[in-house]
Amino acid sequence: MAGPLTRSLHSPRVLVALGMVLCVAFCAAFAGLVAPHDPSEQNLLSILTPPLWDAGADPHFLLGTDSLGRDVLSRLIFGARTAMIVAFAASTGAMVIGSILAHVSGYFGGVADWIIGRLVDIWMSFPPVILSLILMVGLGVGLDRVILAIVLVDWTRFCRVLRSEVMVVTRHDYVAAARLLGFTHWQTILREIVPATAPLLITLFSLEMAIAIVVEAILSFVGLGVGPDQVAWGQMIADARQNVYQSPWDLLLPILAIVFTVAAFNLLGDGLRRALDVRLAEAGH
Amino acid sequence: MLATVVKLIARRLLAAVPILLVVSALLFCVLRLLPVDPAAMSLPPTATIAQIEAKRREMGLDRPLPEQYAMWLKAALHGDFGRSIQFGRQAGGLVAASLPATIELAAAAMILAAILGFGGGLLLFHLRGTLFESIADLGSILLLSIPEFLWGLILLFVFGVVLHALPFTGEVSPNLPQPDITGFILLDSLLVGRFDVFLSACRHLILPAFALGLAFSPTIMRVLRSSLFDIYHEDYIQQARLRGLSETQILLRHALKNAILPTLTLAGVQFGILFSGTLLVEVIYSYPGMGNLMVDAVRNADLPLIQAIALTYCIVVLIINTLVDALHIVLNPKLRTH
Amino acid sequence: MSVLQARDLTISARLGGTVVTVIRSLSFDLEPGKIIGLVGESGAGKTMIGRAIAQVLPPGFAITAGSLLFGGDDLVTMAPDRRRALLGRAIAFIPQAPMTALNPVKTIGAQFDEHLSRLGQRGRQQRRERALAMLAASGLPRPEGLLAQYPHQLSGGMCQRVLIASAFASNPRLVIADEPTTALDATTHRQILRLIAAMQREHATAVIFITHDLRLAADLCDDIIVLYAGRPVESGPARAVLSAPAHPYARCLQLANPSMSAQRRALYVMPDQMPSLRQMQTMSGCSFAPRCPLAVEECRRNEPPAVSVAAGHVVACSRAAATPSIDVRESAPSMPDEAARNVLQVVNLAKRYGVGRGLFNEATTVAAVKDATFDIGENEFVALVGESGSGKSTVAKMLVGLERPSSGKILFNGDDLTEPALRNRSRVAASVQMIFQDPRSALNPRRRIASIVTQVMEAGHRHARWDERQKRSQQLLGEVGLAADFAARLPDHLSGGQRQRINIARALCIPPRLLIADEIVSGLDVSIQAQLLNLLARLRAELGFAMLFISHDLSVVRHLCSRVLVMYRGEIVEQGRTETVFGDPHHPHTRALVAATSPQA
Repeated sequence: MAGPLTRSLHSPRVLVALGMVLCVAFCAAFAGLVAPHDPSEQNLLSILTPPLWDAGADPHFLLGTDSLGRDVLSRLIFGARTAMIVAFAASTGAMVIGSILAHVSGYFGGVADWIIGRLVDIWMSFPPVILSLILMVGLGVGLDRVILAIVLVDWTRFCRVLRSEVMVVTRHDYVAAARLLGFTHWQTILREIVPATAPLLITLFSLEMAIAIVVEAILSFVGLGVGPDQVAWGQMIADARQNVYQSPWDLLLPILAIVFTVAAFNLLGDGLRRALDVRLAEAGH
Repeated sequence: MLATVVKLIARRLLAAVPILLVVSALLFCVLRLLPVDPAAMSLPPTATIAQIEAKRREMGLDRPLPEQYAMWLKAALHGDFGRSIQFGRQAGGLVAASLPATIELAAAAMILAAILGFGGGLLLFHLRGTLFESIADLGSILLLSIPEFLWGLILLFVFGVVLHALPFTGEVSPNLPQPDITGFILLDSLLVGRFDVFLSACRHLILPAFALGLAFSPTIMRVLRSSLFDIYHEDYIQQARLRGLSETQILLRHALKNAILPTLTLAGVQFGILFSGTLLVEVIYSYPGMGNLMVDAVRNADLPLIQAIALTYCIVVLIINTLVDALHIVLNPKLRTH
Repeated sequence: MSVLQARDLTISARLGGTVVTVIRSLSFDLEPGKIIGLVGESGAGKTMIGRAIAQVLPPGFAITAGSLLFGGDDLVTMAPDRRRALLGRAIAFIPQAPMTALNPVKTIGAQFDEHLSRLGQRGRQQRRERALAMLAASGLPRPEGLLAQYPHQLSGGMCQRVLIASAFASNPRLVIADEPTTALDATTHRQILRLIAAMQREHATAVIFITHDLRLAADLCDDIIVLYAGRPVESGPARAVLSAPAHPYARCLQLANPSMSAQRRALYVMPDQMPSLRQMQTMSGCSFAPRCPLAVEECRRNEPPAVSVAAGHVVACSRAAATPSIDVRESAPSMPDEAARNVLQVVNLAKRYGVGRGLFNEATTVAAVKDATFDIGENEFVALVGESGSGKSTVAKMLVGLERPSSGKILFNGDDLTEPALRNRSRVAASVQMIFQDPRSALNPRRRIASIVTQVMEAGHRHARWDERQKRSQQLLGEVGLAADFAARLPDHLSGGQRQRINIARALCIPPRLLIADEIVSGLDVSIQAQLLNLLARLRAELGFAMLFISHDLSVVRHLCSRVLVMYRGEIVEQGRTETVFGDPHHPHTRALVAATSPQA
């Protein structure tokens, strides 16, 4: 695995995307150090100030303030933390569940495949937005609930795509050869199949990060996300909608933050797909 | 061929029955996790505990969960999805009233997404091997990274707030009458001959439809492009070239017809997701469809309504998938003749 | 006047930074109504010629010198539009893979109609009638029904007939047939060739027939050009080239090919393989010299001269006169006598698959293998022959345990492997091993060769140390005739023949009692095939094992195996000593198989 992965680092696409991702990840990891203000500190004397490049800006607040006088830059940075935590945890969870089921289903086939296949069918007939909303209604708001909801919605993405890849790999004669040489099923899956599906897994993980960030933003936007005590980009957008005439930047900046981060992960996924030579029928948001 | 298609649709709808049963059961269980008491909510705040208890018994909330589900299912099969807590009306009726607006929006968005996706895909393919290839490719990844609710906000901001070019609230101007015959405003306005209403409805539809169309076209674009790439490596393309066909003839008569198949598979999945994507766009544009109703219901913990709407979404998505499958059969002889 | 005149045609490719010659100085004249054969193993550059005529060379390839005169016009310098106007009309192509050369979403009728309307045929009805006539002339039954069918509903042979009909529909002056039978079942090869010959006679068309099979070419062609590493090494009348090859390469190729009718003899083994494009760049002199038994110092220094050995028979070799002296010194592989003891007894083995089970269909079963009964003695090589889909591979999979038999017994040294207690593969894993058909699919591309050949040492609870495995892999590489430095390589860096050796080495890691070999030489060039067949014979002599050798090539079977089982539609219809079965076939299908194999040479 080290071979192709290191090779993928020679792709400019992967490098640029990795740079963008690391930039967001850095802000998220060291939000407390990077952010100039406490993100929930209210300055009711200077509300809705524009960012530095607009007339009437307060140099104290680089990107201006929102309707409660909170520093937009600091909120963006702490929003990145929320987004990255949710995306990473949720993608990991979805990947673990989805890929275990996919390997069981694709390798063993038969009854296991049938059951898992029907489970995926049922899940897929729920539109993802609706399913996550309902889960949030049932689970209640909170960071951990958002993560759980995304895991419960998106494991099917991994399962569906990986299952067919596992089936393709399993058809290779070297898998049959391993069994003939006395490999147990576990050995065969871990030593012969997983190394072959890992590039796809990594690519899917990157794309799932992008999806999870969007879903978190959507849930926070409709007020069913991480909850009022956490800073989230979706929430910032929802707040800024009320004052779009006075302070359009409050709306545009979190939008830009989301697009930047999502684009970074999509670009990374696409770059990895090319560099690792993964065949992937793209499945959208 | 028609018989095959009808048989397939029948088979798919039959297969959808157990799926819908499981889906509705799951919905029922998830919503019962809620820490709210539907009985208490449907009574005025002044109700006594005894009154609430009586109401609970009346609503069957004191029985075990499977029994409650069976009761709900029995009623639902008779078209009774319960009474909405916040509106006090039949949930089924509320859904039926808001569904046409959502269907109109989704249909317009699907057409847009298909047009933009196909055009863009052909353009991307046409640019292969040129300097613009990677620029266009990066552009399509950027487009891919803007989900429908952000498109909604961006378009609303640019064309509504800044340019004042298009309306962005509701489905028709508030000073105009809203004819209600079928529920589809575009159709109804034409039926009563009010072209001003029709035009207003069209103008109101543009921004939300574009928000969805733009969000869902990049995937179609990229899949069409990559399937065309794959197909150009096939022997029959080479053979067509050896028969002396021009590149345009090869694209139009041979490549495109094959490239549509994988694109359609994806578009089917995409359109299912697009239909539920209307939810956020409706919220942003205050469009009186099912999405707005859903968010309302969610905020007010209106369980019967949530359940009815969610089930409707699932049914529509299943119908879309079935139709796309049928289209697939029409276009792919391998599926038709096996 | 010649239909096509090639004059010093040279094709080059850009490889990395350097330019490599792919075809060097090819010249020939093709007269109307004649068939010329371009013969060469893979990598000889033979398919480039057809692509050069249509100017659809792969990216980076270009014609750098010479001309291709078609009726006086040079196809090389011709404007693309004029050339395109010739394609499909005056020049037609018969492709290598008929199943994929037809558009899968269009009916045969629609594709034929498109072609005929491009040819200027007016009227849908007239086109339909012409299509029906052409299809009927190609020996396709019920052409009316065929027009409404899609390519996937047809067999490969039928697809090729459709494509041949379409190629001759325009009464072309030139038809290029690029390996038209390679992708088809062996039993159809002759029929397709006969069809091409008949159509060619009827339309008085000139044909370029590209193939890797010298015997096939000699059957069909008037003249033959043998290509080696992009150079024409021998050309002349087909009979003369086949019966009295003058170039050492052609002679060696002939000796490497097992014969169907003559006395069984050892196969001549050419060392190594054809030089790659990259190697050719740094070579001087004759490109066959490194493998040539007659090569002298002179051959490695200078380009070989063109020598005329008979009327119209030209060879690029200074040692042509010595060619007849090349002979195989070794004796034919020995055949063990009737085996003393059976290693394997198969009794009434059957496999049935359930198909079409569903809500609307009754469950039905299809028998892939019916009541197969046979045995294999110690050290005995037994062949299993039959066309594709006859159930050969299913038998192999059941023997090694990849498929569970529906009924019957598999007795290995007296133990029934179908007993639940013995199903655990690792108990017999060491003694029954399989060599897979496609070495590309059979070798994990992520493992190094040393790890692949000693993979059995990490199976189950075995945890061999790395240095033990290194040592064993060196021994195994030596046994299959590969250098020690292969141990650290990845399968992707190996040629097809080398991969197949690795595939064999893996099966030998723990010495087997019985090997199942599934079509392990099909798709390989004759010289590589000879290397592998000799390797198997040598390994048996050294290590001692029995083998079930699955193949569709009767001449290979005749060379290697003492007994043969013939399978047809899931049943073993005939079995016995190879000579007896092939010499006096009883079952009609065996007769068809024998007849399909070239009777010559």
